[in-house]
Amino acid sequence: MESSLGDQLARLLGVTAVLPGDGHEIDGLTPQAVVRPADRLQVSEVLRWASSEHVTLLPRGGGTRTGLGNVPRKADVVLDLGALDKLVDYQPADMTATVEAGVTLESLQEQLASGGEFVPLEATLPCRSTVGGILSVGSGGPLSYAYGLPREWLIGIGVVTPQGVATKAGGKVVKNVTGYDLNKLYTGSLGTLGVIVEASFKLLPIDPNDGALLASFSSLDDSIAAGRKLLHSPAAPMGCHSVTSGISRRLQDSLQAASQDLGPGEEETALSFAFFSGRAQATGRRLEEATALLLAEGATTVQRIEGSAAKGMLRWVTDVPSEVNPNSTLVIKISVQSRFAARASAECGEVLLFGEKPEQMADPGFGSVRMFWPEPAESPARGTEAEQPIVDAVQKARQIAHRYEGAAVVEQCPLSVKRQIDIWGDAPDSLAVMRRIKDRFDPLGILNPGRFLGGI
Amino acid sequence: MDLRRFLKGLQSIVGEQNVVYHSDDLLVFEYDGSVDRGMPEAVVFPSSTQEVSRVITLARKEGVPVVGRGTGTGLSGGAIAPPGGIQVAFPRMNHILEVDTENRLALVEPGVINLDLDTHVRKFGLRYAPDPSSQKACSLGGNIAENAGGPHCLAYGTTTNHVLSMEVVLEDGTVVNLGSLARETVGYDLRGVFTGSEGTFGIATKIAVRLLPVPEAVCTFLGIFPDVESACTAVSAVIEHGIVPAALEMIDALTIQAVQKVSDAGYPDDAGAVLLIELEGLQDEVDEIGEEVEAALWEAGATQVRTAEAAEERELLWVGRKGALGALGSIAPNYFLVDGVVPRTQLAKVLAKVADVSRKFNIPIANVFHAGDGNLHPCLLFDERQPGALDKIVEAGTEVLQVCVDAGGTLTGEHGVGLEKKGQMPLVFSEDDMAAMVLVRDAFAPDNSLNPGKIFPDDQSHTPHAQPVYPGMAA
Repeated sequence: MESSLGDQLARLLGVTAVLPGDGHEIDGLTPQAVVRPADRLQVSEVLRWASSEHVTLLPRGGGTRTGLGNVPRKADVVLDLGALDKLVDYQPADMTATVEAGVTLESLQEQLASGGEFVPLEATLPCRSTVGGILSVGSGGPLSYAYGLPREWLIGIGVVTPQGVATKAGGKVVKNVTGYDLNKLYTGSLGTLGVIVEASFKLLPIDPNDGALLASFSSLDDSIAAGRKLLHSPAAPMGCHSVTSGISRRLQDSLQAASQDLGPGEEETALSFAFFSGRAQATGRRLEEATALLLAEGATTVQRIEGSAAKGMLRWVTDVPSEVNPNSTLVIKISVQSRFAARASAECGEVLLFGEKPEQMADPGFGSVRMFWPEPAESPARGTEAEQPIVDAVQKARQIAHRYEGAAVVEQCPLSVKRQIDIWGDAPDSLAVMRRIKDRFDPLGILNPGRFLGGI
Repeated sequence: MDLRRFLKGLQSIVGEQNVVYHSDDLLVFEYDGSVDRGMPEAVVFPSSTQEVSRVITLARKEGVPVVGRGTGTGLSGGAIAPPGGIQVAFPRMNHILEVDTENRLALVEPGVINLDLDTHVRKFGLRYAPDPSSQKACSLGGNIAENAGGPHCLAYGTTTNHVLSMEVVLEDGTVVNLGSLARETVGYDLRGVFTGSEGTFGIATKIAVRLLPVPEAVCTFLGIFPDVESACTAVSAVIEHGIVPAALEMIDALTIQAVQKVSDAGYPDDAGAVLLIELEGLQDEVDEIGEEVEAALWEAGATQVRTAEAAEERELLWVGRKGALGALGSIAPNYFLVDGVVPRTQLAKVLAKVADVSRKFNIPIANVFHAGDGNLHPCLLFDERQPGALDKIVEAGTEVLQVCVDAGGTLTGEHGVGLEKKGQMPLVFSEDDMAAMVLVRDAFAPDNSLNPGKIFPDDQSHTPHAQPVYPGMAA
């Protein structure tokens, strides 16, 4: 009789590297085992074994975004990269660092802070989110307007191919056009082309002063419009966000829990957040001019927050998705040209699901709107009756995104709905090229099969 | 292939006057800014995406390789036609199609000149940040092919950080769109991997780029130093202050002499190095950081420090840097420009080793470079007409690249691998690394008929088209 995959892996890497797959369910599929290689060589061994045995692998970092992606076609083994957690090289004077993929963002930032620097990556739950995971997803956070996406900061990468071969691209220098820029290809590829084991980044100096403004508006529309004005003014912040009243109430609750006061807040207000950093005098001037601008644009109150409290506020905004998702039936992120963010947000706000409007968080500078449709007060009947309205809401959000030449990604929905849709939306005309890339890199389809756009 | 019939076919697509094929006319298309040469069979000037697609389709049917050509300012032989190949050039597709000030983006055709775009959008208080030294002449299409850089890439990143989307024609004539006008897009980042693919994946026919607001204040500092070492100390000191200037450039003694021969940039004849630093931002931060920069320059041993805020005065400080390459003509008829990059902290050490190479080969080497991001530009000066000169230069250039790689650096920061450095790729990448890269090319261009023979060494098993040795190409 053939031995189980877990047994085979235990023979390969030792019993301590293998755990049973129970409790690591992904989209309803329970993997047979979780394997945790101790180093890059072991990652190669696992991939060589998986290739020869046609075993599918689901690479995992901190496991904070495992819900992102289509339902996998097959999920034999979870490849846990958490043990690859070393800072390989950090030269503060070069403003570059090389790390293993399993390093958490929090630990990386702590180590870089010793050199007065940071890497402009953003993720919810930084104590769990790993560098490899953040790169695989490729998304940013509240300061994407200023920093862009992880793709802008990655200068070199180490990847183990599905065949188990260690490869690299880029390097450790901040400017490099030697060979094709595979850094860009791997970033945002959701682990479908290879397993990221190492990454080099360019860094930035930590700005000495942080500041934030918190402004209340009578409506989300007003808040977004004011944000747009602010972003196009000389006092432009690093990022600007607008949230609906449901999300602002959560902030008030969490601040009250921390015995801070948000000041007099109306029940039905939208909030605008603006984040600033830089030298003291310039930051002071930006905060002052931005306050005046927001008041002139109809803010009912503007609160100035500085220092560590501003950092805390940024942390809170970064974590909004992980806070709100658990109470949501459907979460969709729309990405559009920034000038359309207001209209897309207004139209999506009218898409009802079980009679409820979505809570929203909009980034009018970067051009993204996240919508969280709450769980219905009374849980609806199961089966297709309950699914169809969700599928319809997804369709409506997609139509709105298309109207503004953007995309709508379903970040969270019930599994029964997920089985019916492509969470990434309609494929672009370049899908054929993407498929050819996948086929050439992973002809056996052993890495995250089916999870990516168009079933890649 | 029947050449006459093929040329007729091209003419029927783009019009008779838009195909160049007489050998006299082709001479200007034989070279780019590097030392490589290669005569195309013909050069075609299409006026639309459809024409590009039809030209590529016809060429593929006839088995003719196609090379996209911007304006021929490239410095790695990227636009040189392979034997029997044709070039597609874009002087007719040179329109700025749209400037969207609300979204801060511009939609352009590939033949638009970099500086023309920047000048145009400045009317709206915006700018296009990547500014290669050739920006007066180079085109956006070429910038994408090479992922062009420039002095201000220190703070703003290179071309790849500014391209939103592209319409491209693939080898089989199909037209696809990569990226999107939204900053975040779904699927693989094909726009990212296409940028810098040196024309081997496809030909971009429409390009959307991000624009940035013009900063409130700009201040340029020029420091004169007795030697390169002290100027390098100043670079480190600035970075250690947590300052990332918009630009941080250096020129060495030999370059200073050349510059002073052709124009008066105001440098003392005995200066050992000139450092240029530019700060941008709110007036408040430019003032505050400016004081720190000035102090750092003096402390590192500057003998003179000049500053300018008004545009014309800043332009004067930049004269020497911008005119440096041209000025080298006053010392020698040819230069071979090496584009190696090293970690910033290795600058002084690497420059000393470059000087060793200069002595060893008895070749004068002038250094003009992007000190802030460790991107060296040693210019090996020579006279092409002297027998054996080119071979010696290429050998010395390879040694300089080895020095860069040994210091933890790489072959090219912004000029591309092209023909010039393909033989040196194994200094940095293993067979396996290159095989992964070639897989991507196979996905875009399975026949490898677009700009074949570039980037990868000839013996790379995945490169089916052998490339004869041009003068200046490393064996």
